[in-house]
Amino acid sequence: MGKLFVVFEREYLERVRSKWFLLGTLLGPAFFFLVLVGPRYMGGRSSVTANVAHIIVLDATGMNMGARVSDALHERFPMSPPPVVQAVPQSELPLAEERAASRVQRSEVLGYLVLDSSTVTGRSARYAGRNASSLSDIEAVRNLVRQEVLAERMEREGIDSKRVAAFARIRLEMHTIKIGDAGREQGSGFGAVMFGYAVALTLYMMIVIYGQTIMRGVMEEKTTRVAEVVVSSVNTDTLLAGKILGVGFVAITQVIAWVALILGMAFYVVPMLPKPPVNEDLMTGAAAAPGVDAFAGTIPSISPGTAIALFLFFVLGFVFYAALFAAVGSMVNSQEDVQQASTPVMLLLVSSVIFMGPIMTNPGSNLARTMSLIPFSAPILMPLRMTLVPVPWYEIVGAIAGVLIACLVSIWLSARIYRVGLLMYGKKPSLRELARWVRYAR
Amino acid sequence: MSDLALDIRNVTKQYAEHVAVSDLSLAVPRGTVYGLLGPNGAGKTTTIRMVLDIIVPDSGSITLLGEPHRTNGMTDRIGYLPEERGLYKKMQVRRVLRFLAQLKGVPARVADQRIGEWLERLELTTAEKDWGMSKIDELSRGMQQKVQFIGTLVHDPDLIILDEPFSGLDPINAQALKDSIVELRSRGKTVIFSTHMMDNAERLCDSVCIIARGRKVLDGGVEEVRTAHSGRTVALAVDDRSRALIAPVLADRALVSRVDDQNRFYELELAPGADPQEILRRVVASGASVNRFELVLPSLHQIFLETVGARGVEEGMSGNG
Repeated sequence: MGKLFVVFEREYLERVRSKWFLLGTLLGPAFFFLVLVGPRYMGGRSSVTANVAHIIVLDATGMNMGARVSDALHERFPMSPPPVVQAVPQSELPLAEERAASRVQRSEVLGYLVLDSSTVTGRSARYAGRNASSLSDIEAVRNLVRQEVLAERMEREGIDSKRVAAFARIRLEMHTIKIGDAGREQGSGFGAVMFGYAVALTLYMMIVIYGQTIMRGVMEEKTTRVAEVVVSSVNTDTLLAGKILGVGFVAITQVIAWVALILGMAFYVVPMLPKPPVNEDLMTGAAAAPGVDAFAGTIPSISPGTAIALFLFFVLGFVFYAALFAAVGSMVNSQEDVQQASTPVMLLLVSSVIFMGPIMTNPGSNLARTMSLIPFSAPILMPLRMTLVPVPWYEIVGAIAGVLIACLVSIWLSARIYRVGLLMYGKKPSLRELARWVRYAR
Repeated sequence: MSDLALDIRNVTKQYAEHVAVSDLSLAVPRGTVYGLLGPNGAGKTTTIRMVLDIIVPDSGSITLLGEPHRTNGMTDRIGYLPEERGLYKKMQVRRVLRFLAQLKGVPARVADQRIGEWLERLELTTAEKDWGMSKIDELSRGMQQKVQFIGTLVHDPDLIILDEPFSGLDPINAQALKDSIVELRSRGKTVIFSTHMMDNAERLCDSVCIIARGRKVLDGGVEEVRTAHSGRTVALAVDDRSRALIAPVLADRALVSRVDDQNRFYELELAPGADPQEILRRVVASGASVNRFELVLPSLHQIFLETVGARGVEEGMSGNG
């Protein structure tokens, strides 16, 4: 126990004392601040391409639809060069499209929009352009076309065009409230998404950053040969445990410092900033929420049970990966080898992150359920899922148990590889040699 | 209390590819300087690592200071200087030493005081500069070796194990190390060191053990070992003009099994059953003018070559311990 503490103390103090730790602790919240608050100060419409209205409108409707849409686009995006309207008969549309496409190719315009008879009936329109894969651009254009089709129909029904304009241009914000098992919860549904995302991302970052810190630490001890002296005083299991605990507490210290700094910023710094320009973006409700509320809404209330589960996932997930990283560090002798040897561990981690997006859009799916139960991705994805939708308690307990077992296996395996690897020099072991290390450790 | 600092009995350690140590037994009396001699790859480092409980023998027993070597807290009474040396590069010297001392169970306050004394004794703390406050990688190689040496002794161990301590030392530091070993012994400590430099072993050791390819070749007190191998070695010096005359005699494998030309004299190892007087008669008969003919105690170096011979050295060269 005494020796464990000595190892722990060194790992912890040497890292917390370093200037890199201080830098990371200060830069973390700054990064968070930039990502969450920054975009609103960068012109409000940053999510839409600046010259989104600089397009050719090919009007094959024969009823002046093109001019309406063009006017609406110009009015909505006054900073962008205005659209060019070309009225073409339906039969010449293919040729006109070809010409428009070549103008897009020459970058004279951003894209072209085709309005035809099916647009008038409210079925479809077509857009081709350089920004065709920008969801927010397309959504903005689609909304405008829809609005003008609606307005045109209402006018045909004899409603005054000025009143139509007033009707049609309603912008509605959707405020959301999440309902969980305990009824309505504080904070918006969107806040929960951001919170879950922040938690999962933080877990991932901490595991990657500090897992690799452990790996580099082990490698340092091995390559500088300090390990030779250290293991003559303390057995490798204690050394490994002290290392993981020490670095783990550094990570916890950093998270606590981040949370404190972010809360401090939310309550003291943000209110002092000028109000961001009122946002007219149709896309995200995030940008629409005013400054302080965004922060308050980002942190939904968490029950003590959830908090404990989150903490367990963090601790177990960290230990699981940290042990694997330590084993990798003890296997290799050079910087070149470590890249290659750590790839399998990194793949496990990255595969969890790849599924963050799909799970956020549909947290109730089977994919979300499966990935949040698999031990290697559970520590990151279960917390994400838990903050988005109610998860039955037995799934949470099951996931924790799974991670715990995975943890024990990873510790057992790593301790044996570490024991042999730490004092083994020469080339990187093959898989067969690794298996032998595990079998004949000591 | 046992009068043996280290008692190794029938220890064997086998790896998948080879036998590192085979049925090795040796005894190191307390308060002596003991040399573990052998070519590279003979199993010296493996033996030391087993003593330090870094690796576990397949069979056999190891007793340290009268107790089984895996007794709790036993490694705290040993100071170990590995062959490959290194320290945490980015750590401050005093913190590294405090860490090493605490790992051996020395309370931080006691450790700090001892570290201060050691740094002054080895001139790492002087009036102008306290290197103890520097980071390890700001120190010269020589200074780093001093720090490592302090790390070995800072917890005042009863048994000190030095693996190839003389390798990479300049003559001044080598002398300082030799003095330290003698001083430790005079304070009743036991020092075991491994080396393949026989001159150091012959000057410093009370007893030695020669191992090759994981097996003990011989062991005992240095003087006993040399006496046991005496009568087989002749020092012969002739004047320069006579060198050619005695060449046929030296080439006679019935008389001389090995010749070591030491420049000023030849060291001859007698062939089994050969009579030194016969060699003398033949040399005189050849017309050479003899300056010296003496039956001598062989050097450890020679005994080493004779006992380990080509068989151990060449095969062992590729190994690492």
